[in-house]
Amino acid sequence: MNLEEFAKKLVENIKGHVPEYIVQLEAENSVMLKLANGKPSVTQSWNEIRVNLYLVKDGRMTVSSFRTSSPDEAIEKSIRILDKLTPSPLYAPLPESNGAPYQLVDENVKEMAISGDISQMISDLSLTELTNSAGAITVSYKSQLLVGSNGAWLKGESTSFQGYLRIFRGDDASGQWSWTSTRYEPGKAKKAIEKAVELAETCQSLPQVKLETRDYKILLSPMIVGNLLQYVTMAASGASLIFGMSFFRPDDLKQQVASEQLSVIDDPHYEDLPGYRLFDDEGVKTFRKHILNKGIFENILHNSKTARLLGGETTGNAGIIQPTPFNIIVEPGDLKEEELLEALGDGIYATNNWYTRFQNYVEGTFSTVTRDALLLVRGGKPVGCSKRARITGSLKDLIKNIVGLGEELWPIQWWEVSIPSLLPHIIVETKITAE
Amino acid sequence: MIDQSFLEKVLDYMQKNGSSYSEARFHKLTGFSFTMLNGQLIGASYKDSTGVALRSLANGGLGFSSTSLITKNSILESASRALKAAKSQKDFKPRIGLSEEYLARISYRVSEKKPISDWSDEDLIKYFQDLYKGLDLDKRINITQVLLMFKYDIEEKLLVTSDGAFVESYIPRIEVFYSITAEYQGERANRWNQLGGSGGLELLEELKIADNLEDDSKSLSIYLREAEPSPSGKMDVVLGPEIVGLAMHEAAGHPSEADRVHGREAAQAGLSYRRRLEPGYKIGSEHVTVVDDPTIPGSHGFYLVDDEGVPARPRYLIRNGYLEEYLHNRETAYEMNTHSNASARAKEWWAEPIVRMANTYLVPGDYSLDELLEDVKHGVYIKKYMEWNIDDYRWRARYVGLEAYLVENGRITRPVKNPALEVNSVEFFSSIDAIGKDLAFYAGTCGKGEPGQGVPVWFGGPHIRMRGVRIL
Repeated sequence: MNLEEFAKKLVENIKGHVPEYIVQLEAENSVMLKLANGKPSVTQSWNEIRVNLYLVKDGRMTVSSFRTSSPDEAIEKSIRILDKLTPSPLYAPLPESNGAPYQLVDENVKEMAISGDISQMISDLSLTELTNSAGAITVSYKSQLLVGSNGAWLKGESTSFQGYLRIFRGDDASGQWSWTSTRYEPGKAKKAIEKAVELAETCQSLPQVKLETRDYKILLSPMIVGNLLQYVTMAASGASLIFGMSFFRPDDLKQQVASEQLSVIDDPHYEDLPGYRLFDDEGVKTFRKHILNKGIFENILHNSKTARLLGGETTGNAGIIQPTPFNIIVEPGDLKEEELLEALGDGIYATNNWYTRFQNYVEGTFSTVTRDALLLVRGGKPVGCSKRARITGSLKDLIKNIVGLGEELWPIQWWEVSIPSLLPHIIVETKITAE
Repeated sequence: MIDQSFLEKVLDYMQKNGSSYSEARFHKLTGFSFTMLNGQLIGASYKDSTGVALRSLANGGLGFSSTSLITKNSILESASRALKAAKSQKDFKPRIGLSEEYLARISYRVSEKKPISDWSDEDLIKYFQDLYKGLDLDKRINITQVLLMFKYDIEEKLLVTSDGAFVESYIPRIEVFYSITAEYQGERANRWNQLGGSGGLELLEELKIADNLEDDSKSLSIYLREAEPSPSGKMDVVLGPEIVGLAMHEAAGHPSEADRVHGREAAQAGLSYRRRLEPGYKIGSEHVTVVDDPTIPGSHGFYLVDDEGVPARPRYLIRNGYLEEYLHNRETAYEMNTHSNASARAKEWWAEPIVRMANTYLVPGDYSLDELLEDVKHGVYIKKYMEWNIDDYRWRARYVGLEAYLVENGRITRPVKNPALEVNSVEFFSSIDAIGKDLAFYAGTCGKGEPGQGVPVWFGGPHIRMRGVRIL
């Protein structure tokens, strides 16, 4: 489908009725190979058009999303109801569009995503030789066109290659790792798979141990760091502060809220991560920014609406309603990969987690459950592998109690880490609850 | 709706080109939603998600393809991609199959006592603006934010399969989600809740939206103003229906999903303790019977026929303390040489049908709440929760109370803060010695699959009493 023609037609229907609008069209071809027990459980492919529509009249707004190629009726309703709404307390005029078009396309990925033929990838990654494995590998080619009453006519085109594998060894041992990229990089995928195998086999080779319910020094893998930082960065979104879903308060801005060792960046211009984009959902240019800079809460993530309400400027992170980071990058520490366990000394190496839930969003109290290899470390050496345990406490405290960070950054994105991220291992002190 | 005869032609095409089983599903989800903050309308939203999903089984491989471009060419191209995807697995020597079933040929729709179409969308907004104005929220605390989201969805499907299923369905649903944030003397807390069911505007009354909001504001008030630290250690615990329902979903429903048992979700939502505990294993006391039933009228997870054409029925996951059925779709039923019990659900056109729960609940007993409490010498009563999670084998869970009380000598004495019940699934079900008669259902959105498919469910139960479990 020709996005330009489609956009022109939609804008023709809208602009006579609605003074302020954003029409965002996305076309995506993607293929996902899902593995279980070392074999494909299903190969899925999609060919779709998404239409996101933001309409404003006298401060009254609709924000609609259509996964269909013929949204005419729904658009008509969206226009018609505008006159019946009340002005939104969130409303701010659309800023002038100053974003730039982009094209970050790997032809190999594009070809696989459009043709649906992933046989070369299966061969390159030697997937038929992986026994006792489960996971998912996805290739995607996406183009988007954003047209707005603020002057935006911006096209973006990108590809992504990402996946994760969980490797099982014996009855109880497993390891899981992920990778993500804008390019077809079998090397990155193989490295992640090797890491999953290494963790599963390390766990299998060690005696099973029981952990106690108490405070531990914990080496968090980049998989866990990615999951937890997703909640930290979403707490830094202006909408989360406004809606009462953030453990940050507006007056935390420019204050020390985390360890001086922790710097977290949103970098939409980082070309290796699939969140790459040069304009946000309001057509505003994106840019690299610190969310946390040496532990100081440097930036609330804003669109024009949250910026108006909380005071500030858009940071080019729209989401029409909810500002969001695009690529999360943590500045590395100085612990080399082979020094991590030694730096941990006596503690736990937690390699993966899931099911993070909050007791209290505004205080940050939470727990998350570890999965896969959970290694007990004594004197810098793994001495046992435990079954699953919980990391509990306050996320506010956890980001303060950082002991050290790894030097190597891992590209992470999977079921529990939806925002593409580049992350180190991090050593923290926090509480574990165990059986 | 799409032309049925065209979908049947697509199936013919797939069968003639090497598919041993073919399936086409036209799936349309349309709806309206809006969000309010402290009674002020933030914005409204329309939804239209329409497309066709195709599945092919060929040479033991399973392929899925879907498209939102509803043209003959695009659908045929998707059919071809589904076939190609299935065949592309040949190097793995796959052996996927589907069980043979009695398949439905049916057209059904959920009736709306008060049709959603009777009201305009602006009428709905006005209803909630008035509802907010009339709320009697707890005034003893400073309620800083009430975020409320309303939506209705109309789900229309047409399923045809190469082995004869024909299912046309129409299911409207209404859902409300809200979050209340409050502050008292510098301490903050919040509570979110989800209400929902299938049907029409009658749900606006049946869901007791204002009552729930007001009651939750009181829970926050008790938590912030009165609650003291919870005791810890082994003790008796009385759980409210809200947590019981959640626990049935997490510790009985999910582990009974046969695809988890077989590892199909191993890298995502995880595995199951039922890999090791076979049907017939005594997992709980004789009081425990857990059912998953898609056919409960008005339920959030309602359907009469699943997304593979199999007629739905209640499934007994645990009966009188013994593990019984798994939840099966045709793929897992084939693997285990049994029959599907109609657990295949797909969220939208872009999603494959996988094993899902519908409405999971603990069958009620005959105790009143007072009777459950009167025999507790020292324990806690956890009425509502905020935090919960469970490990990926569905073995060890954690439920942390929001509104909770100390129970001494059979009486509730004072509110306590954040009692954390950590318990494994056998401990959970085995420790239950009495079950209340006050069955209640709660709405949820159950997540599973890759890409993630959040589907509407109910979970429910009555109050229960547990003996000697650990509170952290």
